Amino acid sequence: MTDNQFFLTEEGFKTIKKEYEMLEKIRASKVKGEAPKIWESEDLNPDFISFQEDLELLETRLIELENVLKNVKIIKSPAKGDLNKIQLGAVVTLEIDKKDVDELKIVGTLEANPSLGTISDQSPVGRALMGRMVGEQVVVSSPIKTVYKIKKIKYS
Amino acid sequence: MVNLVDFFVEIGKLKGMPRRGWVLRNIKNPESIAEHIFRVTIMAWVLASVKKNNLNIEKIIKMALIHDLCEVYAGDTTPYDSILPKDKKKRAALLKTWPRFSKEERERLSKEKFHKENKALGKIIKMLPPKIRQEIKKLWLDYEKGLSHEARFFRQTDRMESLFQAAEYWKKYKKPDQKALWIWAKELFDDPVLLELSEILGKKFYK
Repeated sequence: MTDNQFFLTEEGFKTIKKEYEMLEKIRASKVKGEAPKIWESEDLNPDFISFQEDLELLETRLIELENVLKNVKIIKSPAKGDLNKIQLGAVVTLEIDKKDVDELKIVGTLEANPSLGTISDQSPVGRALMGRMVGEQVVVSSPIKTVYKIKKIKYS
Repeated sequence: MVNLVDFFVEIGKLKGMPRRGWVLRNIKNPESIAEHIFRVTIMAWVLASVKKNNLNIEKIIKMALIHDLCEVYAGDTTPYDSILPKDKKKRAALLKTWPRFSKEERERLSKEKFHKENKALGKIIKMLPPKIRQEIKKLWLDYEKGLSHEARFFRQTDRMESLFQAAEYWKKYKKPDQKALWIWAKELFDDPVLLELSEILGKKFYK
């Protein structure tokens, strides 16, 4: 991946586009000096409230989002014959060291947040899983060995 | 100036606050939150300068300095907190694995942590003049949400510092169990500089 290209799932793209449109509305309201009606909207993401107080933060975020939207590459579901393989966008159920079970989604760096169940395809675990199929297992070591067994692969 | 005196006294408390992850793992004299901040700031500065893609180093250094200020009032938290057994043996067993949650639990825990820390940060920066207060809030939100390239890089550097500390405790005390921390790192790191550094760290400490 180059620094200029951002791989996003369809869901991630929609979220970013929605955020961009919402922030643009906030900026327009602020420029007009209006109390933005948008704050009364029930579907307002509470995170956006932070931007209400800080025009500079809002501008910085808009520039960042514009850059992403300009250079986005949306991750498509693989061809039918490849649905059994792990690729970007796959939601994978894993058995870890024969004990724990977890469900992780393989995404590009921009959407990666292991605390929320998304891991980057460029992380050691992401790299090891790419191209693998149900029933296979991958070992991630150096220095400590961990075995991930692939139980299920799905694409939304 | 009275408020500034209060602010400096309050943030000084981080010097005496041990990091909870090490306390849970029974590490003797564990590092404080302020000690973690010190090294992660230097690491972020140096590593950002090693990277050749125009990261804003001043922003990263400031982000590193303020990223845990909220812990003065919110306290340090770990991913284990919501599922920690009281039984010592069960607790020790749990800490050997990386905790796994459902999607809904992950989202709920993340939101709860954010709201608690956001409130705590608001309380401490209230003692500061508006301009610096806004700058700190802005940097913290950027870090928490991983909005900018700098924030995403620093979030990984923050974890890297913990990995260094874990390796050093391992060398000294042969604990804590390292596995969970390395699983965490291998699922998180995707920055080439940090990946290379973690490889070298692994070879140096776990021959």
